[in-house]
Amino acid sequence: MVFAKTLYPIVYLKRGVKMASLKRKHLSEEKKDMISGYLYISPFFIIFLIVGLFPAIFSMYLAFQKWNGFSPMEFVGLSNFKVVLTDPLFWKSVYNTIIMGIFGTAPQLIVGIILASLLNQAFLRFKQFYRVTIFMPYVTSMVAVALVFSVLFSNQETSMANYIIGLFGMDPINWGTSEWGTKIAISIMVFWRWVGYNTIIYLAGLQSISNDLYEAATIDGASKFQQLRFITMPLLKPFILLTVFTSTVGALQLFSEPTVFLGNNAFTRNEAMTIVMYLYRDAFRLQSFGTASATAIILMVLIVIIATINLLLTSGTSLRERGERK
Amino acid sequence: MKNVKRLAFLSLVLILSFSLIACNNTKSSKNESGGKSDGKVTLNFWAFGATGYDKLIKEYEKEHPNIKIKFKTSENAEHHDSLFTALSAGTGAPDIALIEVDQLDRFKQAQDRFNNLFDLGAKDVEDQYLDWTWNNGKSVDGKFLFGLPTDIGPKALYYRVDVFEEAGLPTDPDEVAALINSPEAFKTAAIQVKEKTGKPFVDSMEMAYRAYLDAAPEKYLNPDGELLIEDKDNYVKKAYDFAVELNKAGVVGNFEMWSPEWANAVNDGSFAAELGAGWLKGWMEGNAPDATGKFRVATLPKEFSANWGGSYLTIPSETKHAKEAYEFIEWLTSPENQLKSFKSHGLFPSAPSVYTMDDFKNNEDEFFGGQITSVVFGKAAENISGSGYKGEKYVPINNEILTALTNVQEGANPEKEWNEAVKRAKDLLSR
Repeated sequence: MVFAKTLYPIVYLKRGVKMASLKRKHLSEEKKDMISGYLYISPFFIIFLIVGLFPAIFSMYLAFQKWNGFSPMEFVGLSNFKVVLTDPLFWKSVYNTIIMGIFGTAPQLIVGIILASLLNQAFLRFKQFYRVTIFMPYVTSMVAVALVFSVLFSNQETSMANYIIGLFGMDPINWGTSEWGTKIAISIMVFWRWVGYNTIIYLAGLQSISNDLYEAATIDGASKFQQLRFITMPLLKPFILLTVFTSTVGALQLFSEPTVFLGNNAFTRNEAMTIVMYLYRDAFRLQSFGTASATAIILMVLIVIIATINLLLTSGTSLRERGERK
Repeated sequence: MKNVKRLAFLSLVLILSFSLIACNNTKSSKNESGGKSDGKVTLNFWAFGATGYDKLIKEYEKEHPNIKIKFKTSENAEHHDSLFTALSAGTGAPDIALIEVDQLDRFKQAQDRFNNLFDLGAKDVEDQYLDWTWNNGKSVDGKFLFGLPTDIGPKALYYRVDVFEEAGLPTDPDEVAALINSPEAFKTAAIQVKEKTGKPFVDSMEMAYRAYLDAAPEKYLNPDGELLIEDKDNYVKKAYDFAVELNKAGVVGNFEMWSPEWANAVNDGSFAAELGAGWLKGWMEGNAPDATGKFRVATLPKEFSANWGGSYLTIPSETKHAKEAYEFIEWLTSPENQLKSFKSHGLFPSAPSVYTMDDFKNNEDEFFGGQITSVVFGKAAENISGSGYKGEKYVPINNEILTALTNVQEGANPEKEWNEAVKRAKDLLSR
């Protein structure tokens, strides 16, 4: 009995502890979820920190230095930016990038919608086959594609491309070294590679529009064109926004296609040099990491400006539409 | 509180282990070049082009069972770019790297990233090699040796017997050398080939340009880093003008070297001659089977006699096995093995003792219809006194001139292109 009495405080203590720990457990459930949530996303962020964020910040630091890769860095302030912005080759590469972007990327978006709507038709047979073949170029090896295209578009008179334009009565073009020849050849390469990607996205968008809307419209007497204009396009808007945005950013960063197509002349001739190629040449051929980093920052500013204009233009119209519906 | 603390601790462990894994990855690539410390040594060897070193490597591995050499070949420009990146990053460089002579000046800036071969005993083999090629491998003050010379590139005139015959030119090498004994005679023969066969004499503007350029004692820069091409009557302009002249005469083809079209042209005989170096022989034998027996080599006129190419075996300072690496490269560039490289791939020896070896003097080349080509290249090698200072920006400046030449071939004004190329070269130097 004495034991029981002395045990009382212990029991109360235990019960107190139990109640407190119950409370703690109650709180820490939420906290536990929170922590496990952070743990799940931490691998990506850690890797991003090391591989993505650190190089980007280091590059911003490098833009103000002069460095050739070996010797100690030398602080030069804004001089790298001046060198790049007064270099005619830089502006040529901006011009090239924009032209190849328009020629290579804009058609993709238009043809993509057309192809997607064709693929979405009920009467089309072998749909799966068409979808796979349209998407195939996206998964091919870049080097193999470049090799084939560089032979198709070779400078020789007997190349496939020159033969085809010869059928239309034109003189053979130097695809590798002429001003427009290179741009057209590379734009065709880019178009061929990416049209499938955009088509599949639009296809997904089209399929997400429920058939009931079309049926209702048909019952109400809407023509096919009216259905396209008032049902399909507005509901496809988010997908169009996505593809325009990613295509713009991707087109401004064009690098692999021209580099492998031009081969040895990639970083020496200026007809098809893009901004990223100009940057690469500065860093790895001329050993000037400072100016290369400065170019990277200028490119980043350019992308932000153009992407913002893009978003303002497209989201502006969708806001208006939402306003109308309300 | 306990549970939260435990979870916090666990997450800390996870984060730490992720960063350790990331760090370990870079460490283990360093260790890869080291191998285990129980005697087995692995060396990473990076090279470019067609060297044929893999056979010699197997021989060496048989004689030295504790050494394994991982051999990697890439394309010329990419090889040097990757090497440069690895050296400036401080990790990932190989134990042994082959560097071409044109690119060597670019790497000489990074002296601290290489082992000084003099410290590894290279002084002992200095006499084995030609003076000028040995000196090229040294630093400006002569105290630092970057690499052991592997081969040199004495130039000769490779010509197609069938095209020469059709054009009414002699086909025997000695007769050809006697006929084409000056730049003017060269041009005359070129015009004759064009008139009688319609085929271009040289394959590209680059070749026409290199005719004088490779032989020039001064090229784009002097050792102080000053640009020489703006001076009146400089050697580079002379080479440029000669190429423009040949182009006007219509004897220059459109086959860019190393392109698939050029490879086909070599095979089919779509152009008459190539002012090539000894190592081209190795490429031809492997890649132009239809041309067997159709090419011969003749001595070039002395204005064009020069060195094109040649490389050095260097040991980056990152290596953990400098001693074993040095032993290997000394073996690889020894006269006996240079003879083997010559016989298999045409890498012309940089060790003069090879020129007197019987095997060298009597090496009949089946590809060249039984001609003993080594004699021709040997004579050309004797006429070389040096190769002119290149400088670190040699390759980019050279590319600017080549761009100008290509534009001229497509009809641009030569003087305008020259001036613009000079302007671009100046701009390059300011970086």
